[in-house]
Amino acid sequence: MHSSADSRPSTESDGEIARAIASAPPGTAQAEESELYRRFARRVQLYGLKHLRDGAAAEDLAQQVLLLTIERLRAGEVRNPDEIGSFILGTSRLLADSTQRKARRRENLTVQFHVPELYAEPDVASGDTEAVERCLHALVERDRRVLVLTFYAEKSSSEIAEELGVTGTVVRVARHRALGRLRDCVRLRQGFGGSTFAKAPVDKPGVKGAKTI
Amino acid sequence: MTGTPCPAPIEFADVVDYWAGELTRVEEDRIEEHVFTCADCARELAAAEGLARGIAAVAREGRLDSVVTDAILNRLAADGARVRMYTLEEGRIVHCAVWADDDIVVTRIRADLAEVDAVSIVTRQASGDEISRLSDVTVRPGQREILNAFSAARLRKLPPTRVHVSVTAPMGSGERTIAEYTLEHAGAFER
Repeated sequence: MHSSADSRPSTESDGEIARAIASAPPGTAQAEESELYRRFARRVQLYGLKHLRDGAAAEDLAQQVLLLTIERLRAGEVRNPDEIGSFILGTSRLLADSTQRKARRRENLTVQFHVPELYAEPDVASGDTEAVERCLHALVERDRRVLVLTFYAEKSSSEIAEELGVTGTVVRVARHRALGRLRDCVRLRQGFGGSTFAKAPVDKPGVKGAKTI
Repeated sequence: MTGTPCPAPIEFADVVDYWAGELTRVEEDRIEEHVFTCADCARELAAAEGLARGIAAVAREGRLDSVVTDAILNRLAADGARVRMYTLEEGRIVHCAVWADDDIVVTRIRADLAEVDAVSIVTRQASGDEISRLSDVTVRPGQREILNAFSAARLRKLPPTRVHVSVTAPMGSGERTIAEYTLEHAGAFER
């Protein structure tokens, strides 16, 4: 495992990271805990965005789920660390369904934990939005309209189909092709094959001044 | 996001449908279970979410130079965007301007669109310089108007000028004019 000051991604599997946390004395596997957070916080945030439809609530969910996961790993309460992804998803589902419990749990955890050097990804840079704008305008008009109606006006494929006078299937096919073209265009403009859109705001767990245990 | 390489990547079409809310609960569960064990597919999902967020930001900030719909205008209004609308009818000169606090300017183009499936809309200054060109704008049966949106920030850079709008439809190897409109753009104003 790399040190917390080393920004290189770990090549260890998710299960190896989880086992390292579980087998270390509580609070001593900080680099592994940071790595686990780095790998999964965005996924939980995406789950939260999808199901809670609120950016702040999704960030809260990501923070809470990862803190709870780390707590359970430290306590040896994760039965199968090799399936840590499933554990995190299950926890995400459970906590997203229970906002009351979420708030209470977070209060308790944030005073108990402070995981240093945790992963906080920046928001989409202005340059990325500019690339989206340029690439969006390079699409054919119908594709652009389908994307804006879907992702801004939040219309379903059947509603868009009615508006365009086509079938819902035509809209769905047009949409995934258009988003694929947009993705390729944005990546080309950014000059690499990876996705900067993996980046989104995720607060660091813990609060300043909180004690590490 | 690093970790185990993906043995069976999710189709991008499924990722898009998932994010657009077009899948059944069972299909959503399948995607989520995969994403939480696969860094590669999680990255694809994050990319789709980032693009969707970027599209929404472009629209919300009034940076769309495109055909829009009432649904998009309603969402802009709900988001507090300031939309200025001009209705264009043939044979009538429309006096227009853009103000400092406008976010988006929309021309509501009324035309006889019967018997056309798609049109092109070209908006030009009197000098001939194009302000906007939209090609292959889909026309649904019974449609009587097209909403063409412009970024107000971009229009504020225009000098006072007469503006010509032409709507054409493909005909054989060429095109035929459906309608032409004239606006007198007085420039950009402060409140």
